Amino acid sequence: MRVDLEDLLFSRGRFSLRGSGTFGEGVHLVSGPVGSGKSTLALLLAEILRPESGAVRRHGISSALLLLQFPEYHITCSTVAEEAGSWGLDPDELLVRADLAGRGDDDPFHLSRGELKRLILACMIMRNPDLLMLDEPFSSLDCAAKRRACSMIEERSEGITIIFSHERAVLPRVDALWEMEGGTLKALGRVPGAIPRWRHAPPYLTYALEQGARPENIRLQDAREALCRTQG
Amino acid sequence: MQDPRLRLFATVVLSVAAFASTAGALAALAWWLIFTPRTKALPRPGVFLGLVVMIAVTALVSEWGGGPGVSYLIRMVVVLLLAAWAYTETQEGEVLAVAVWALGDRIGFEIGLIAEMGLFGLTVIRQDIEQVRVALALKGIRIGARSIVPIAALLIVTQIRRADDLARLLVVRGYTLGGRICPVFETGSRDVLAALFAMIPGILCCPAVRDVFIVLQ
Repeated sequence: MRVDLEDLLFSRGRFSLRGSGTFGEGVHLVSGPVGSGKSTLALLLAEILRPESGAVRRHGISSALLLLQFPEYHITCSTVAEEAGSWGLDPDELLVRADLAGRGDDDPFHLSRGELKRLILACMIMRNPDLLMLDEPFSSLDCAAKRRACSMIEERSEGITIIFSHERAVLPRVDALWEMEGGTLKALGRVPGAIPRWRHAPPYLTYALEQGARPENIRLQDAREALCRTQG
Repeated sequence: MQDPRLRLFATVVLSVAAFASTAGALAALAWWLIFTPRTKALPRPGVFLGLVVMIAVTALVSEWGGGPGVSYLIRMVVVLLLAAWAYTETQEGEVLAVAVWALGDRIGFEIGLIAEMGLFGLTVIRQDIEQVRVALALKGIRIGARSIVPIAALLIVTQIRRADDLARLLVVRGYTLGGRICPVFETGSRDVLAALFAMIPGILCCPAVRDVFIVLQ
């Protein structure tokens, strides 16, 4: 199971996006500043946008889902339970998973942004697609909600998960790192080898690296553990 | 047309002329062909054709019931072309500038600000619809009669929320009533010419002038 980007080129006005590489099984983090082209890349990978040249080739992938940055756009039903049903899921099971038990009759628009994001993320994870793309899954969430979202992403044990995010504080465990800058996608490689090459690394990782520690992954707890190992 | 005051004037005069009579509509269409970038000033074909189809259906029903369906179709399509041109040409802040120039810092500013918010809302709705299309496609739902209700609900709710956010932002920034801006307009010679020619269909559609032509015939 993999997605190949073959000399991808996409232009809109003065902005152009370029990228090559392969997304294999596991969790990938595509980081980069706001406006660097992460959402455009997500739309290209989801085959919603067509590249000007080059291609996105999927191998062994039979289902794909994209979480949009604003979860409101995903709503098509008037209650939370119906919304779960529209994804072909059992509402009771989903509500427990999304930590929204007893809220089945609520209007989805009455949920907070964090609750709504959790609901849609839970829907997508329970659908278990071969390729799951998450566009800014942590934006407008508080720290607790971000941690909950990370746990949900980490629960996914198979398939390809690609996270597009500029988040630099609360991150899940990942298998590979990518960077977007000025519309160019750069593959940094697999974690932990890629961490020292990561220019947009969170401050806690940069600090750990400066102290001579070698974190196993990109979470705060990984940096802490690496510092503890180094400093005894 | 650079000068938004003359553009607004031409749009209003020509729209009234086009709506008032078929002859006025044809004259306004001639003006549109001469003084605008024509097809470059139209919205996306899907949106434009959708609106034309809606007008055509109404015209067909009217014609079928013995009403002036063909005339209605011609007049409304011309009004639509003028509206599309005016919308495409309008730059951010121009409506506020024209309103303040015409009605002053108090009422003019209020009306201009509301109009600017409305225009911005239209742009946002267009982006919202694009996002909803993507979300529906992900669920395997095709846009059709069944999806109209959820799409409309989403657009209304998001617009109300944005309006609420915007209102709070204005309060936080200390906005109460009116404001001061110094609008500056650039008027090209072609703008003046286009505005003068826009008056011809406008004058022709006036009942008093029409009566003179009928008497002369």
